[in-house]
Amino acid sequence: MTSNNSTSIQDIHTAINTVNDPEYPGISIVDLGLLENIEINTAYEVLVELIPTFSGCPALGVIAQDIEEVVRGVPGVKKVDVQWLNTPVWTVDRITAKAKEDLAENFTVAVQINERVECPRCKSMTDKKSHFGPSRCRSIHLCRNCREVIEVLRD
Amino acid sequence: MNDSVLTPPVKEYLLAFADDEHLMGQQHTEWIGVAPFLEEDMAFASIGQDELGHALMLYTLILECPSGIDTYVFNRKSEEWRSCQLVESTHRRWEEALIRHWCYDMAEDLRWELFSDSSLPELISISERALKEETYHRRHAEALVENLLMVPDSKLRLMNALEVVVPQVLGLFSPIPGEEEAISCGVVSGKYSDLLPIWRTRLEERFGVLDSGLFIQADNENRTQRHSDFDYLFGRIREVFLLDPKAVW
Repeated sequence: MTSNNSTSIQDIHTAINTVNDPEYPGISIVDLGLLENIEINTAYEVLVELIPTFSGCPALGVIAQDIEEVVRGVPGVKKVDVQWLNTPVWTVDRITAKAKEDLAENFTVAVQINERVECPRCKSMTDKKSHFGPSRCRSIHLCRNCREVIEVLRD
Repeated sequence: MNDSVLTPPVKEYLLAFADDEHLMGQQHTEWIGVAPFLEEDMAFASIGQDELGHALMLYTLILECPSGIDTYVFNRKSEEWRSCQLVESTHRRWEEALIRHWCYDMAEDLRWELFSDSSLPELISISERALKEETYHRRHAEALVENLLMVPDSKLRLMNALEVVVPQVLGLFSPIPGEEEAISCGVVSGKYSDLLPIWRTRLEERFGVLDSGLFIQADNENRTQRHSDFDYLFGRIREVFLLDPKAVW
């Protein structure tokens, strides 16, 4: 099904890269590791395969809709099909270094790589206060030094 | 896709799991805004969200038509549901809701593991995802219960709640319509009811040996009859949907 037309796949990738997480404006869903695969056939029908952070994430519908819209806008594309995959399972390892920096800088959000989570503001250690935070993919930590409340993205 | 294995009995079998997950998720979300403290409010919301996600994955597999799920789920007659009474009954006491959460999630991973070698590849991947999410559910239920059992008044409340909830859990483990067909075609590796002893061991390791009277299989619950609280719950579920059944969400 995949064509050799790499330019088109690149165009579609570029378009998808403009779709941001609904809760983090400016952070691309590609950098969050949600994009798994793009396919395009000779009839210019596009299949976009995505991985949800969690199966019950309420943002899935909005994200799929946004992607469909931007891919439809790529010249030559005739049809778009966006699918959420059950495998592989999303982990925070899929988040790019750039997205981690932007999350820390613009949202005071840390990413849980291991048990030690640093404060995005002052780089001091934080303590977990609640495993469950404002959404399914976030815990709440507190910085020992600056007392900032930190949202921590986790898998 | 999978036409050979997804026969009507197998679909009915999977529907029981989807309906359990859906209603358990709904029950948890009923505590949003009214749970005894903020962390529990968020925990129940997140855990409920996972269960709804699991239900959605199963409904998608059964229906093979994602766009028709809302119509199917929200317009079904009560006799077409295959949920068990544990997830249909309303528990307004917090300790009963917590004990149900503990009991249900200590039984749920056992149920997903039955699909780890399924003849339906989609079920293998769905169960892998669900099992990962479930580890947090058990950890949460365990941590909270462990701490509360150290407080005499809390312990008394939890033990009383067990007397209400444990008999309902037996219904969760009762034979599931379509189960034999699902086993014979390799969709699932065994009977869920065979795993009841494992669950009981977990229960009694946590709470001590309980009155054996609690484990007498009550009526002949077979998932075709609804609990008297079902209509209330279903009303809550459909409340917004019925405002405009044709709306696209």
